[in-house]
Amino acid sequence: MVKRIAAMLALVLLLTGCSTDQRILDRLGMVQTAAFDSTEGGKLLVTASIPVIDPNTEEHREILQAETDSVKEARLVFSRQTDLRVVSGQMRELLFGMDLAEKGLWKYVETQLRDPSVGFSVKLTIVDGKAGELLAAEHKPHADTGRYITHLLEKEASGNNIPATTLYEFSRDYNDDGIDVIAPIVSDGSDKVRVSGIALFAGDRMVMRVPVKEGLIFALCRGKLKRGEAALDLEGQSGKREVAVFSSVTSKRKVKVHRLPDGRFKVDLYVSLQGSVLDYTGQRTLKEEADRHELEKEVALSIEDKAEQLIRQMQQKKTDALGLGQYVRNSLSYKAWEDMDWREMYPEVEVKCHAKVKIKDYGKYM
Amino acid sequence: MPKQQDQQERLSLRHILQEFEECADLTQREFPEIGAYIVYFSHSVDNLLLINQVLDPLSSLKRKKDLEQLLCESQFVPVTDSKTAVKGILGGGVAIFAADSVHLIDVFGPEARSVTESETESIIAGPHDAFVESATTNISLIRRRIRSSHLKVIHCAVGEVSKTDVYILYMKDIANLDYVKDLEGRIRRIETDAINDGGMLSQYIEDKPTSVFPQFLTTERPDVSSSKLVSGKILVLIDNSPTVISAPASFFEFFSSSDDYYERWVLGTALRLVRYVALLITLMLTALYVAVTSFHYEMIPESMLLTLAESRNRVPFPPVYEALMMEFTIELLREAGARLPTKVGQTIGIVGGIVIGQAAVQAGLTSNILIISVASSAIASFVIPSYLMSASLRVIRFGVIILAGVWGNMGLVFGIAVIVIHLCGLSSLGSSYLIPVAPMRSRDWKDVFIRAPFFALVTRPTQNQTSNPIRQKNRK
Amino acid sequence: MTEKIRPFNLAVLVYMSQVGIVVFTLPRTLADYFGTNGWLFLIPCFLLVSFNIYLISCVYRLGKGRSVFDILEQSVPKLLLYPLYAALITVWMLFGCVIGKKYVLLFQMLAFPTTNPMVFKLMFDLLAFMLIIKGIYAISRAATMFFWITLWMYLLLLWVLPDFNWVRLTPFILQGGHDQIKGGLEVYGAFLGYEMSLLLFPYISKAKGSMAAIQAGNAYLSFSYINLGLISFGIFSQDQLKQLLYPLLDILAYIQFPFVERLENLLYGFFLFLVLITAVMYWWGALETARRILPRLKQQVLTFMLLGITYSISFIPKTIDEVNTWIGFLGNVTIGIAFGLPLLLITLLLIQKKGEKRDG
Repeated sequence: MVKRIAAMLALVLLLTGCSTDQRILDRLGMVQTAAFDSTEGGKLLVTASIPVIDPNTEEHREILQAETDSVKEARLVFSRQTDLRVVSGQMRELLFGMDLAEKGLWKYVETQLRDPSVGFSVKLTIVDGKAGELLAAEHKPHADTGRYITHLLEKEASGNNIPATTLYEFSRDYNDDGIDVIAPIVSDGSDKVRVSGIALFAGDRMVMRVPVKEGLIFALCRGKLKRGEAALDLEGQSGKREVAVFSSVTSKRKVKVHRLPDGRFKVDLYVSLQGSVLDYTGQRTLKEEADRHELEKEVALSIEDKAEQLIRQMQQKKTDALGLGQYVRNSLSYKAWEDMDWREMYPEVEVKCHAKVKIKDYGKYM
Repeated sequence: MPKQQDQQERLSLRHILQEFEECADLTQREFPEIGAYIVYFSHSVDNLLLINQVLDPLSSLKRKKDLEQLLCESQFVPVTDSKTAVKGILGGGVAIFAADSVHLIDVFGPEARSVTESETESIIAGPHDAFVESATTNISLIRRRIRSSHLKVIHCAVGEVSKTDVYILYMKDIANLDYVKDLEGRIRRIETDAINDGGMLSQYIEDKPTSVFPQFLTTERPDVSSSKLVSGKILVLIDNSPTVISAPASFFEFFSSSDDYYERWVLGTALRLVRYVALLITLMLTALYVAVTSFHYEMIPESMLLTLAESRNRVPFPPVYEALMMEFTIELLREAGARLPTKVGQTIGIVGGIVIGQAAVQAGLTSNILIISVASSAIASFVIPSYLMSASLRVIRFGVIILAGVWGNMGLVFGIAVIVIHLCGLSSLGSSYLIPVAPMRSRDWKDVFIRAPFFALVTRPTQNQTSNPIRQKNRK
Repeated sequence: MTEKIRPFNLAVLVYMSQVGIVVFTLPRTLADYFGTNGWLFLIPCFLLVSFNIYLISCVYRLGKGRSVFDILEQSVPKLLLYPLYAALITVWMLFGCVIGKKYVLLFQMLAFPTTNPMVFKLMFDLLAFMLIIKGIYAISRAATMFFWITLWMYLLLLWVLPDFNWVRLTPFILQGGHDQIKGGLEVYGAFLGYEMSLLLFPYISKAKGSMAAIQAGNAYLSFSYINLGLISFGIFSQDQLKQLLYPLLDILAYIQFPFVERLENLLYGFFLFLVLITAVMYWWGALETARRILPRLKQQVLTFMLLGITYSISFIPKTIDEVNTWIGFLGNVTIGIAFGLPLLLITLLLIQKKGEKRDG
């Protein structure tokens, strides 16, 4: 008897279950990329790119724009512009205009984090100029600019030159008092989208950019490399510029913190790098082992030099994008760290870079 | 005095003939010289036996005295009551009415199908013979494989009208006698008019007849049956059916096939794992498609998103209707194929597979990704060796799809939970249906999820609660 | 053939009744209340639970495996016991109920924002009903099945290991927390469920390992909690972890496979199995107690009544915050029961033993 009642209940459940929460795939406008800019009126300009599924049309994406006060309000405006239900669960990429990035991003990132349909793996990128314009522009032969940027950055990140930043990494580093956030920068190169550097943040405001050329140096100082490609400029003996092109670079970083007698910190940054040399425009031949050792040393010197220069710039802008603070913190007691204002201390830190380079091989030809 | 005797004999014969009134198939012959009268069914006796054992001896006799002498031989069983006589005649015997006695001789030998290959449980390597409809032949197939006097056979008759012979087979020193007693009791308690098949019988003696899952394993392979016997299980054979019941059974037993043991252990193991994957696919693949396309679009990776969305683009129905429609079509095809002769069946496969599948996609009625998923779950269901289990799972699949259509992944999980909870409540002859997983018997796992090399398979399954759990000496 | 719960299955049952809804929030609670390396706090919790289980095994040994109700009823008049029973029934029933409700509310937030959560709660209760009326042995079997079905999910943690960094753990131990008593009770609440083993005494096999099995179940749970805690503290930064309401969901959402991503949508469902067994065990405990008061009533009817009542009560807390308040309060009471009941029983058993000696 009781069982029968239970079975009846189950049936009723099924019948009433037809839910308003259905999100049938082909009736959704799945925002692939969203771009944010600030307008002159102090409002927010949101541009969204939605892939068009119908194979019969020429268009591959639909661009929606809205000028609103809040990020999620834009979605309501979007819904009025399209016959599809606008959802953000398939979002892959967030683009922020440079002016917005300089004013601070956290409140926009926070809304995304709160939304249960947005995952942690959404990428976050800064655009040189207006993000919305870049997204709306056509880049032949790429039909969908949003996807094009996503794939471009994915490829760059896999080469370890320009790190991709996800929501997870952004919120992790933003909320860590010993490291600052970074993000890749892209810019519109008329017919192509170009990766043009790395944005370094202090808090949630972008304060500095690292040009692409120094991307590798930055990556070497920030952490591990697993598969990098690098063209390193060397000051040749005769003062002429020489280039050594490394491939399959793997690197490791070690950080050591000392306290100097005057209370300042000294950080030793050990970078060790391995790779094969594919091209070298200098005088030396790679045949002799001694020559190769010399080249190794020279490359190391050049890395140390450039790294220290880069770090000095970062110190001036008070951005600890290398996470040196984490190591300083771990060398202190909890109380000492809490009492210290790291951002103020940071420019005072003396950073020394020690590089070690090893040439694994030099190709298959003497 | 002789006259009175005559009358008595006539009375008995008349009584028998009265019983079989309007039975046009009854044969009767008189041997006037010796005053004998025989009654039998010509279709259920072996002609050669009849001639050798009955007709020739009787016709060669000249005197009544000789008849008396002949009937003293042991193959002629004296009968006193007419009920036994009737039963004997029905069972393929010849009743001989002599002057002062009635004797029965068993010359049973009906027309029977010869032993052929199994259609439903065919394997590639290994013995190919299968049971036939005659229980005696079937028992002989088993006895041929197990030459042991410990193989015991209990006989019962089931069916108030049909009186079908049922045989319970077990190994005296291996099987658990409580199970035997329990099973025999269940069979003897059956009250119905007729039982026609082993599959039907098993539903009368199951622990929970309302369940969708078969609680006893049925097979028509003598090699499977004999291996079950020596592992301590009990077999039930029923006359006129090639289906043999093996009890007790566990859910996981339905996923092993006899050729797992005939092939190398690595291959056997791989095949078993494939079957469990097939179980998951057959239950969940289409349901997952429905859940993802109607609720959880977030789960689709970017590389698949456009393909999936494009294939759904022209479909006018929500995914759950689309899926149910295609699943139903596949079931139609399967049923049609099963009913038709093999040659026509192949045509059905082509018509269904190519014409309907292709046309439905082109007409925009379904998405081609769904076709792939429906087809793979149908194929997966055929991988499961037991026909009964695979049919049960196919029915359950519809429920899971509907749940997934209503509540997405939650419905899917709800469906799995209902199935698991239901399975947890099932038992086979009082022992857990989910053994050796719940309750856990890790010792048995090496013959359930994998097929370990034979030196490792030392013990018999715990479920059988055998008095003699060690199967072999561990040689390693 | 009477079946008894054997050690392995007992360990699984204890583990499954312990692990529940708290697992979603646990890393956050640890980070929020205990600050840096909060996961270390799990170790004293584990030891305390082990001690509590030791108390329970003392009851088992002293009482020679008798049912706790028999022990109680031997020394205390039934009239006095009924209020105690009623209190136990209420607490356990409600605790099971709010656990289920919280699970449902969380799920609703994820995927079904506008559906009435009570529809899902009804579904949850139906599953529980199906399981409870089959008896404790079926519950134990289901727990074992669900254990195997969910075990592989730990492997998923391997996918986030590349983001793990020891530097983020910091060398500070439990610094920067607040309200540590409140937090301690909340974290200890994550271990609850083991006290149901008190009621299992008549159903477990007399084999030696039974009490060790309860400890093993708890040890395994602590091991997996510590793993989860350690990994969360290593992949999230301290302040980030404090802001994530459900870190486990975020971890699952971060994992990407070539054929599927955003796993939390599917795997959240799999946690149904864990939460279900927890709720079922509490309800089963309430039912066992209720049977002492109403021994005549058919078990199915009693179960139906109990679940009917809890279902109507679960209408009351509407938001996740309300449910959390309820869970917090009931959790504290349950912790009290988990310690109080074995202590009471040990006292009674010692008195009974003395009485026997005097008589003998």
